[in-house]
Amino acid sequence: MKDKSMDKRDRFSEYNPIVNLIFYLGALVYSMIYMHPLFLAISFLGATSYYLTIQQKKAFKLIFLMFPLVILIACINPIFSTGGNTVLFYLWDRPYTLEAIIYGAIGGATFGAVVIWFATFNYIMTSDKLIYLFGAWIPNISMVFTMVLRFLPTYKRKLRGISTARQCIGKSKDSGKKKERIANGLTEISALTSQALENGIVTADSMKSRGFGSGERKSFSLYTIKKRDVIFIVVFILIIILLAGCGIKGGMDASFIPQVSLQWNSYTFAGALLYGTMLFVPTILNVTEDIVWNFSKSKI
Amino acid sequence: MQEKSVKAKSAFLKKMITFLVVFIIIPVLLYLTWRLDSKKYYITSVILIILSMVPFFLRFEKRKPQARELVTLAVLCAIAVISRVAFIMVPHFKPMAGIIMIAGLAFGSEVGFFTGAISAFVSNFVFMQGVWTPWQMFAYGIGGFVIGFLGKTGVLKPGKRIPVAIVGGLVILCLVGPILDTSSLFTMGIEINMDFVKTTYMYGLPLNAVHAVATTITLFLLAKPMCEKLDRIKVKYGVMSEE
Repeated sequence: MKDKSMDKRDRFSEYNPIVNLIFYLGALVYSMIYMHPLFLAISFLGATSYYLTIQQKKAFKLIFLMFPLVILIACINPIFSTGGNTVLFYLWDRPYTLEAIIYGAIGGATFGAVVIWFATFNYIMTSDKLIYLFGAWIPNISMVFTMVLRFLPTYKRKLRGISTARQCIGKSKDSGKKKERIANGLTEISALTSQALENGIVTADSMKSRGFGSGERKSFSLYTIKKRDVIFIVVFILIIILLAGCGIKGGMDASFIPQVSLQWNSYTFAGALLYGTMLFVPTILNVTEDIVWNFSKSKI
Repeated sequence: MQEKSVKAKSAFLKKMITFLVVFIIIPVLLYLTWRLDSKKYYITSVILIILSMVPFFLRFEKRKPQARELVTLAVLCAIAVISRVAFIMVPHFKPMAGIIMIAGLAFGSEVGFFTGAISAFVSNFVFMQGVWTPWQMFAYGIGGFVIGFLGKTGVLKPGKRIPVAIVGGLVILCLVGPILDTSSLFTMGIEINMDFVKTTYMYGLPLNAVHAVATTITLFLLAKPMCEKLDRIKVKYGVMSEE
């Protein structure tokens, strides 16, 4: 819905939506599950670097917002969680421990990484991709979903019309007391409802006369599965399964209370390598595209 | 004869699925959460939420709704979303829940749930999708469902706007708000204990109160006129009148 006029082409979003979906499922779920600092760092760096390649300078606003958030959660957590061996000082007769600070920072960093992943998700997973992915399973709901998306700009325009007309009789929602503004705004919504419902019936009858519901419905989509998509789907699924294996073998074990103990064994490093490989795929795609583009530009 | 056996088969399937979900999937999930120790609460809770929303959506798909019904639902959702967008300039005033409740009141609990869930989902395309999306869908859906249920049983009548407005506000304060607070409880990813839980809900209380007041105002001003309009559609075109 936001104007996503391309600041830049994003290579990863040009892959089949199934590739995008599997990637995000893996990235988000594992970012939430694994508390091991190494894995968190990989996830955080993967998310930030990808967000940077999409948004460039605009990305810093969100990324820099995450640091005070992590510090804040790190400082607040010891107030509630009093476990931990290293007592720094006593606050209101309750121990304020180093381990609880670290645990809070880990929690904050997890949250930060997930927020940044979602910031890229908003950019990549557009509504048409979701309809492509789920349209066949839930045809009626995705039909409603599509219609809602189509109605929004129409209603915005209609609402503006109603608003302007009502301004002429001095009932504006943009000026005056808050109470009046709310009442005027709600009246506009009510007026819009009458129009919208009647128009909706006309639309529905038109749909029916054109054969809605008379057969199986297919939805239009631009996406095809190419060879590269199949390769990525297989690789991502393989990595996700292997990562789960590493997790079961205890490679990502980390506990912070009562004392910090982290697992560092071969499963940890193998897992980190796989995790990094998967999470940096979008960044690498974008960066190599940049290099190739600049290279071919310089040849001209 | 054949139809009967198909019906029996689908009823059996339904029972099997319910059995599978209630007695196998949910216990396994809870066991895994317990085994994997804290912090995985979020994922478990989201899976539970999605599982609980699936029956609503599947029932809707199974029923093969008519064009008029589909479009009317889309209109209701779009109006709820546009109300959230249109009031950005009035700070702290969110009428979306109110509109969802009106939809529930006029067309019943199922439509209320559907409108709530879809509006929350779509409005996040305008604002931002995030870890909170499934929770918002669930919370607003439940809000619409409860009011729809109360409307169907005759406790609330669209004509009597004062009780509708008060109950709507209470539902936000006691049900929808706390569900949304629970999501922030889980997403922080830090250890959950009684103190943290208490503080989260206490901190959420004033925000929920503001949201509740906004909903009450919306319902007070709009419940009667909007329900009349929706009823008119029901009478004039027979949309969703079998509900």
